[in-house]
Amino acid sequence: METEKGTISLFNPDKFPKRNEHGTEEAHGGEHGEGHDDHGGVQHFPNLLTYAIGIMRPLGVSETVIGYLEKYENLIFALIATIILGLLTSRAMRKPEMVPGKLQNLIEYLFGGYYEFVRGVLGDEAKRYIPFVGTLFFYIWCMNWMGLVPGGHSPTASPYVTFPLAICVFLYVQYIALTRLGPIKYLAHLAGDPKDPVGWAMVPLMLPLHLIGELAKPLSLALRLFGNIMGEDTLLALFAGLVVIAIPHVGGFGIPFHLPFMFLALLASTIQALVFSLLATIYISQVLPHGHDEEHAH
Amino acid sequence: MNLLGVGLPLGLGFAALGSGIGLGNAVNGAMQAMGRQPEAHGKIQVSMIIGMAFIEALTIYAFVTVFVLQAKL
Repeated sequence: METEKGTISLFNPDKFPKRNEHGTEEAHGGEHGEGHDDHGGVQHFPNLLTYAIGIMRPLGVSETVIGYLEKYENLIFALIATIILGLLTSRAMRKPEMVPGKLQNLIEYLFGGYYEFVRGVLGDEAKRYIPFVGTLFFYIWCMNWMGLVPGGHSPTASPYVTFPLAICVFLYVQYIALTRLGPIKYLAHLAGDPKDPVGWAMVPLMLPLHLIGELAKPLSLALRLFGNIMGEDTLLALFAGLVVIAIPHVGGFGIPFHLPFMFLALLASTIQALVFSLLATIYISQVLPHGHDEEHAH
Repeated sequence: MNLLGVGLPLGLGFAALGSGIGLGNAVNGAMQAMGRQPEAHGKIQVSMIIGMAFIEALTIYAFVTVFVLQAKL
């Protein structure tokens, strides 16, 4: 993969951004930039799309098409994730049998296990909200893991993907609160459920506090996912760059220094998908009416 | 003397310090719980991992701030 010739080079140490005397950044050797794509000085791996662009550009494909491909890189990979998930699940559950085959077994294990997990949080209401939460989990998991496959790129490494996901969660939770609680109870929930004169006196304090809290929740969701995935992408790219630099010193072949961090990235991607969807579940459970607790016979 | 160049790594270092203390506390509690009841090992481990993700998130905020501002360094 590390070729010294041609326009497709994984990392070219000559093209690492260097500082000149004026303190600004410039990248040397910049006529083909796809081997070392830096967005503001941060490196990341090239992927199938950038390779395709690298092939299409000297072939003379129009700049508008290439511009669209570059701009919608995250969207294309998110669509690929959707297609992968859709194909996998539809093929597995096309003819469900009592004694499942391998694929159906795997899908049932994953999805059923997650359903049990959500049921531990939501209880009986899980059946109603598991489509949204389960889709969040598997979609984000698939997108995170796509960045670790060679030639892939995780869309969640971009804030333009994680913030819309968090906004979706925010809007859905507010919608659930308004429809399940009703507008009056919704406002009371925001004001901290005033029951006695002390509660009513604290409403001017609790209302802004809760409002800011409600806005801070999706912000923290988005930033957590974005920071983790972008961080691990940058870490991997940094260590892979180190591998390329070290090639002439270890005798001409590349030792994969970034392998341990691949394992870390696999684990962290799964955990971040789990945390995102689990937090969405918890936010949903917080706005559901609490009347069920008195009916449980323990 | 670039103040941002002094402040950003210091801030990130402090965030890492806080995260180290917090995660140490969390894992400490989990280890003790696992020692008291080894049968609940699986559940305690899962809860520990989830708790660690939350604690780690605060350090990630500082990390993201560094990346956003590092172009101005």
